[in-house]
Amino acid sequence: MLKKIPKTNEMYLIIVIIIYSIIVTMVNKSFMSVENVFDILRSGTGQAILGVGVLIVLLSGGIDVSFTAIAISSGYIAVRAIMALGIDSLLLAFVISCTVGLVFGAINGIIIAYFKIPTLIATLGTLNLFHGLLLTIVGTRSVNAAQMPKCFINFGAAKIFTLTTARGSTIGLSVFIIPLIAVILFTWFLLKYTMLGRSIYAIGNSTESALRAGINVVKTQLFLYCYVGFINGIMGVITVSEVRWVNPVYLVGTELTVIAAVVIGGVKLTGGSGTITGALLGVGLITILNSTLVLLGLSSSWMDLFVGAIMIISIGYTSYQRKIENQRLLNFM
Amino acid sequence: MENKLLIAKNISKSFSGVQALKNVDITINKGEVHCLVGENGSGKSTLIKIVAGVVTPDEGEIVINGNFYKKLGAIDSIKEGIQVIYQDLSLFPLLSVAENISLNQLVEEGRKVINWDEIRKLAEKELKKINIKLNLEEKVENLSMANKQIVAIVRALTQDAKLIIMDEPTSALTKTEVDSLFSIILDLKQRGISTLFISHKLSEVLEISDKVTVLRDGNKVGEFEEKELDNEKLIFHMTGKTINESTFKYDKEKFKEKPILEVKELTKADHFRNVSFELKAGEIFGLTGLLGSGRTELALSLFGLNPPESGDIIVDGKKKKIKSPKDAIKCGIGYLPEDRYRQGLFLHQSIGDNIIVTIIKKVLTLFGLISESKKIKQIEKWSSELKIKAASLFDPVESLSGGNQQRVVLAKWLATNPKIFILDGPTVAIDIASKAEIHKMIRDLAEQGIGIILISDEISEVLHNCNRIGLMEKGEIKEIINPLKYSENQIYNKINKKN
Repeated sequence: MLKKIPKTNEMYLIIVIIIYSIIVTMVNKSFMSVENVFDILRSGTGQAILGVGVLIVLLSGGIDVSFTAIAISSGYIAVRAIMALGIDSLLLAFVISCTVGLVFGAINGIIIAYFKIPTLIATLGTLNLFHGLLLTIVGTRSVNAAQMPKCFINFGAAKIFTLTTARGSTIGLSVFIIPLIAVILFTWFLLKYTMLGRSIYAIGNSTESALRAGINVVKTQLFLYCYVGFINGIMGVITVSEVRWVNPVYLVGTELTVIAAVVIGGVKLTGGSGTITGALLGVGLITILNSTLVLLGLSSSWMDLFVGAIMIISIGYTSYQRKIENQRLLNFM
Repeated sequence: MENKLLIAKNISKSFSGVQALKNVDITINKGEVHCLVGENGSGKSTLIKIVAGVVTPDEGEIVINGNFYKKLGAIDSIKEGIQVIYQDLSLFPLLSVAENISLNQLVEEGRKVINWDEIRKLAEKELKKINIKLNLEEKVENLSMANKQIVAIVRALTQDAKLIIMDEPTSALTKTEVDSLFSIILDLKQRGISTLFISHKLSEVLEISDKVTVLRDGNKVGEFEEKELDNEKLIFHMTGKTINESTFKYDKEKFKEKPILEVKELTKADHFRNVSFELKAGEIFGLTGLLGSGRTELALSLFGLNPPESGDIIVDGKKKKIKSPKDAIKCGIGYLPEDRYRQGLFLHQSIGDNIIVTIIKKVLTLFGLISESKKIKQIEKWSSELKIKAASLFDPVESLSGGNQQRVVLAKWLATNPKIFILDGPTVAIDIASKAEIHKMIRDLAEQGIGIILISDEISEVLHNCNRIGLMEKGEIKEIINPLKYSENQIYNKINKKN
C-alpha cells in the first residue's frame, strides 16, 4: 500500500483535474472549447517553468523563495536593455535574461553551498536583495505595451498553428509551449538519467550519506541553483511577453503559491522525493482553478480558499496514513 | 605475511589535548571476523575512523594489502577495499533498493549518465552473491531494519570490499535477524572477506568472532583468540574490574502481602492477549522474551500509551481505566522508555529542567508561575539522591554520558513518587560499570517498597535482578519462573524454543 503512494498521488491529481473539468464544463460549456484550453496552456507556461525550478530545489532538500525576484529581474532587465541598446532581437532578450538569471542563481548557489546557510534563510535574504537591487539600480518605472520592444510583443502573439472557428475568429497555440517543452524534457533527462540529477535526489535524502558516497555536494548545489536561475531567466522573457507590459514589482509575492502547487503535486517539502510529472500536474491544477473560477461565477478570492483546502486535504491525508502507521509501530513521534 | 590484510601499528591520536588512542596495534587477517570491544570512550570509533582514512593519526603506520601508508586518505582506504557501515547505515531512504546498492559504485566510476537497466542488474548480481532476494523497486524507507542493513552490506560488496567494518550492526535487530546477519558474515568469511565487528553485546562478540581486540581508555588491553575468552574474562578486560552479579532477594516479611498491581486478562489484538500477573510492593518482576513478543506493547498499555481492548488493570485493589500517561501518573505509575534519546529525555534542555518536568505542579508559586527557588531545591535533591555527575545542572542533558542520562530519567520519575515503576531496557547502550550501578539503584528502589517491572532482552539482567520472571512469547506470558531455579542458558533455551 505504502509503496504505491508516489504513483497514485499523480493518479489522484489526474482524477481531481478530470472531475473538476467535468463540473466546470457542466456549468459553462465554453471551458472545454479549444480556445479556452489554448488560453490556459499559454497562461500556465510561466508558472510551469517556475514550478520545475521549485521542484529541483525541493528535491535537493532546499526551499527557494527568491525565484520570483530572479524571474522578474531578468525579464525587466532584458526589456530595459533591449530598449536602451535599440537592437530589437528576441534572441538577445533571451541571452540577457538567462544571463541575469544565471548570475543571480549562482549567487544563491554560492551562499548556500559554500557558506552552508539554510536555504530558506539564504533565499529570503536574496529575494529582498535581488528585488532591492532591481528597484534601486535599474528603476521602478513600468513599461507599457506601446513602449515595449516589438520582439516581446511578437513573441507573445506568435502561434505555432492557428485554427479558424465556426464563427470565423482565429485561435492558435502559443509558441510559449516550445521553451516549456524544452525545459521539461531537459530537466526530466537531467533528473532521471544523469549522475548530477541523481546526486540532487541523493543530497535531498541525506547530505551526510551523499558525502560518504563520494558525491560532490558543493558542486551539485552550485550547479542546481545556477540551472534554476537560468530557467527562471527563460520564464522572465515569457512573462513580460505574455502580459505585454512590465512592472518590476510583478510576480514577487507569488512564491508560496508556486511552492504550494508543486507540493500538491506530491513533491516532498523535506526533500529527496518527487517527480516532474507530479510537479506539473500540481501547477496544472492550480492554473486551471485560477482561470476557471470566473467561469463558475466565483470571485478570484475563492482561489486562495481552494488552494489552501487542496493542500490541507492532500498533506493531511498522507500525514494521517503516516500516523496510523506510527501507531501500529508504537512510534510516538 | 600474505595473509595479513591490515596492519596498523603504534597508532596514537589526540584531540585537543585528550589522548584518544595510545600506541594501539591492530592486525586483521584475510577472511577473519575480528571484534573490537571496549566501553564508551575507549577509542573504538577513533580507531575505525583512522582505518577508514577519515581521521589521520598523530603517530603510527598503516599497511594494507602490503602497501605502506604514512598518511591514509579516505579514497586510499576505499581503493584498498575497506568499507565502513556506520550505525546510521548512510542509506538514501526515499530511493529504491537498486539505486541504493549501485549508486556509490557509479559515483566511484565517475559516471555522468545513468543506465537504469545496469543499476538493476548490478543490484541483482550483488544480492545473488549472498543469496538474498529483495524487491529492487521498493523504497529503502519501507524496509525492515535488517533488510536495510543487508542493502548497506551489499552496497559495500559492490565496491570490492575486502574488509567490512560494522559499527554496532545488531543494536536494532531481533534475534532471528542477528542470526541471519551472522550467517552473511560467515558467508563473506568463506569468500575471504574480513569483518571488523563492533558490538556492546558480549554474547554476540563471543559467538561470531575469531579474534577480539579489547581497548580501554585509549590503550590496547590485548588481542585474544575467541577460545581464550568467556563473558567474565571479557568484562574484566574491558573494565579492569570484576563485577559480581549477586542475585536480588525479595524481602517477603517487610511488605504487605496485598499486590499493588494486578493485571487480569489484558488483551489487545496483534499486541498481546490474556496477560495476567500481579506485582507486590518491593518486588522486581522481570519480563523477557524475543523482540516482538509483546513486552514493550504491554508496558505501554500499563502506562496509557497503548490502551488495551479488554481486561482489567487493578491498582491498590481498585480497578482503573488508564487511557493516557496522565492517568497512569495519577495511579502512581512511572515509565522509563527503551529509547531514552527520543522518548525519555529532552536532549537539548538542561539536566535540571529534565528532572522537574514531571513535577512542575509541585514547584509553582501561589500565582501558578514557576518558582525558581522551589525548582532548584527539587533539582538539587534529586540529582544528589541519584548521584548525577555533571559539571553544571544547567548543562544540556545531551552533554552527559549514557549512564548519567539514564539517572536523569530515573530521577524525573522518582520525583513523582511512584508506587509502580516500569523500566524498559534500563541499561541499553550503557557501559558495563554504570550498568552495575543502575542495577544497584533499581534494587534499592525495590527495597524502599516500590513495585518494579523490569523489561529486558538481556537474560542475565532479569536473572540477577528479579525475584520472578515472566517469559513472553507471541503476546502471551507463557510462564512465570523463579530465577533461583534456572541458569541463564536454560532461560535462553526456553525463550528460543531449544530444549
